[in-house]
Amino acid sequence: MPGSMVAMTQPVQQSFNPYTENGGTILAIAGSDFSVIAGDTRQSEGYSIQTRYAPKVFRLTDKAVLAVNGFAADGNMFVKKVKQRLEWYRHAHAKDMPIRAIARLIQTMLYARRFFPYYVYNILGGIEEDGTGAVYSFDPVGSYERETCRAAGAAQSLVQPFLDNQIYFKNQTPAAGTQFPQHLPLTSVLPLVIDSFTSATERHIEVGDGLEIYVVVASGSTSLQGLQNLRGVQEVTGTTDGERVFVIRRELKKD
Amino acid sequence: MDHFPSNWGRPRNDAIDQYATYPIHSRPKDSFAEGVQRTQQPIVTGTSVLAFKFKDGIMMAADTLASYGSLARFKDVQRLHAVGNHTVVGAGGDMSDFQYIQNLLEQLIVDEISAQDHHTLSPAEIHEYLSQVMYARRSKIDPLWNSLLVGGFKDGEKYQPSNPRRPLPLTVYLRFLAYVDLLGTTYSASTLATGYGAHIAQPLLRKAVESREEILTEEQALKIMEACMKVLFYRDARSLNKYQVATITKDGVKISDSKTLDTSWSFAENIRGYGAQTQ
Amino acid sequence: MNTFVDLYSTTSATAQLRRAQKITEEENEEFSDGSWGSQAGFGTIVKGGPSFMVPNVPDPTSFLRLHTDDHADPSCRIKIQHGTTTLAFRFQGGVIVAVDSRATAGSYIASGTVKKVIEINPYLLGTMAGGAADCQYWETYLGMHCRLHELRNRERISVSAASKYLSNLVYSYKGMGLSMGTMICGWDKTGPAVFYVDSDGTRMKGDLFSVGSGSTFAYGVLDQGYRWDLTDEEAQELGRRSIYAAGHRDAFSGNTCNLYHVKENGWQFVGNYDIAKMHYEGNGTGAGPYGYEPRITGEN
Repeated sequence: MPGSMVAMTQPVQQSFNPYTENGGTILAIAGSDFSVIAGDTRQSEGYSIQTRYAPKVFRLTDKAVLAVNGFAADGNMFVKKVKQRLEWYRHAHAKDMPIRAIARLIQTMLYARRFFPYYVYNILGGIEEDGTGAVYSFDPVGSYERETCRAAGAAQSLVQPFLDNQIYFKNQTPAAGTQFPQHLPLTSVLPLVIDSFTSATERHIEVGDGLEIYVVVASGSTSLQGLQNLRGVQEVTGTTDGERVFVIRRELKKD
Repeated sequence: MDHFPSNWGRPRNDAIDQYATYPIHSRPKDSFAEGVQRTQQPIVTGTSVLAFKFKDGIMMAADTLASYGSLARFKDVQRLHAVGNHTVVGAGGDMSDFQYIQNLLEQLIVDEISAQDHHTLSPAEIHEYLSQVMYARRSKIDPLWNSLLVGGFKDGEKYQPSNPRRPLPLTVYLRFLAYVDLLGTTYSASTLATGYGAHIAQPLLRKAVESREEILTEEQALKIMEACMKVLFYRDARSLNKYQVATITKDGVKISDSKTLDTSWSFAENIRGYGAQTQ
Repeated sequence: MNTFVDLYSTTSATAQLRRAQKITEEENEEFSDGSWGSQAGFGTIVKGGPSFMVPNVPDPTSFLRLHTDDHADPSCRIKIQHGTTTLAFRFQGGVIVAVDSRATAGSYIASGTVKKVIEINPYLLGTMAGGAADCQYWETYLGMHCRLHELRNRERISVSAASKYLSNLVYSYKGMGLSMGTMICGWDKTGPAVFYVDSDGTRMKGDLFSVGSGSTFAYGVLDQGYRWDLTDEEAQELGRRSIYAAGHRDAFSGNTCNLYHVKENGWQFVGNYDIAKMHYEGNGTGAGPYGYEPRITGEN
């Protein structure tokens, strides 16, 4: 470890805090053959809004989208490094890295900074090789898990209970003779995402301004219908065959 | 093993290793480091920098004071630095670190010219370079203690969040304005301010500029800037009534000579607690 | 010739790149050829082990202590996920491994669906208590070395050797803030085996272990029900019942119980059981609820 050797020979200052917190919230929900990854676009520090548009959600490949939240500089740098590694993979293998491999890559990249962590909460969403929707969530030092839905960031504690209730049907009892669905259709998921963010905007000062929702859809999915003529939707797919990626942009309250 | 979950994942609180059981990482005892180490802090400092977009480009302003603590030490310091023909970097924070950054940028421009490939650095590229340098230094726990604004006219943002479908005049795509600070934090907006300006001038700027970026003329922009600098001078104890304005347009960079603010203090007599009053 | 010029030139593209790298270099990241391929961050295994970036401060350990969470200072922002009640025991029919699934960050329940049993390979299981990332990462790393052992020695690694490998590994980071309390469970030439390994460097062979804040509750149930000649069903029920007890009484444990059974030809996943459901409805075998309220009402 060359870093630690340097530490013992050079005089360095003490009180500099290399971290800050830039607010905002991210969330992702997996469907049977699609995945939705969303984040607000406000960036703040303390009580000041730095900008009303700073993206927190990034398209990595046509089947993977990464949302980062926490310390913005760490987040941007981390996304940059993940993208670099994915490009190297493309050069070596002439294909995109599958999402479960990206998840493991992110774990090792985060854990490499175990003693000087990236202050970043990551949520990775996309389509698995078998065509199912996937969400992977990470802690700052790389522990991860595949889930159906996850919220992180400033309003995590506001949004996650709502999602537990609406996606996992926690504390709900199905009507007699019926069962709760395993996966919700895109047409039910999108309103849940938008409602999560409008509500978080109402109750959390660090959330608001704009909303970016990425939707990754498996090839041949029926979820495509109705998506294309949605208000404010834009396709950002890179290749022509296979999964397709869309962004939906919405305004959130700016106060 | 400590079974209490809240104590997991971080070095233990009984950091003092009573029985020297930590083989590889006992606390480094380096008398040299202990003797010389000090809290790094800015010494000679500049205060706010303001910048915003207007119809023809970017306008940026900063006063010419470099303070030494509460002493107004140097009163004619230029805090706006032109980089090439398309970009201005404005700095708040430590002035010696800023001079080092000026050096880096100068070197960068020299290299760019030596290449003779007819490529010149765009403001976006200069901002990216600065943000990499700033982030790298914070990661070495040896920060360059500055807040920087980068304004320019060459490459700009590709996306306007307010309405992506509305066709925008070409200048919108050419203007660039972004921030980077000692932590490597970056962001971009149509009005930016560092230091005290972020609290005092930013609300005024947003009110005057937002949604009028495509309308404001240089004269109007200058008026807004002067008003903001005046408010800052009235309230920021580390500011000066002498400032410079940089305008970056299709014609290149123009940094004005220092202007003096026309301020009035006569109102102070009537305000309790403002001027010299006996009671 | 060109390379020679490049080497000493100050304006060539490579020289500029070198200078840029010198200024912006944030860590001495050396990418092996492995980083190009599919080895992800583990590509450095050929060089003997992964390398970690350490903050450039006089005392990196107190730096990490300052910035990661603690009940004494909840304002620390970097919250690392924690795992909580785990148990494993050896008996006539193999090894039972049972864990809860709750992860907490301070008083917030960060997840109720954590997989705290780490499937190292088809014959080895590890459990997760402590820093979730520490356990996941190092037990995955252990799995790679177990495979290397198989390739080099043409036989499976013993549970003892695997656990010692892990124990030596974490001991080399002692004091730097790793935290893991794990049971390495498996079946080798010696039969069923359980080893306890933690980040202090402790490694113990034993018949029965429980780790985490709910371990005391689990031990209570475990100790009164444990016998070597338990049948498979009895043993599984004991594991389940112990995790239920911990989930019921310990605030840091709960949600669901994951149950595994290691037999001679590898481990088997037995099932996932909702702890609240076990309390009110039972484990689904028709044995009745675990909760004491139904029993009281039964008496009335």
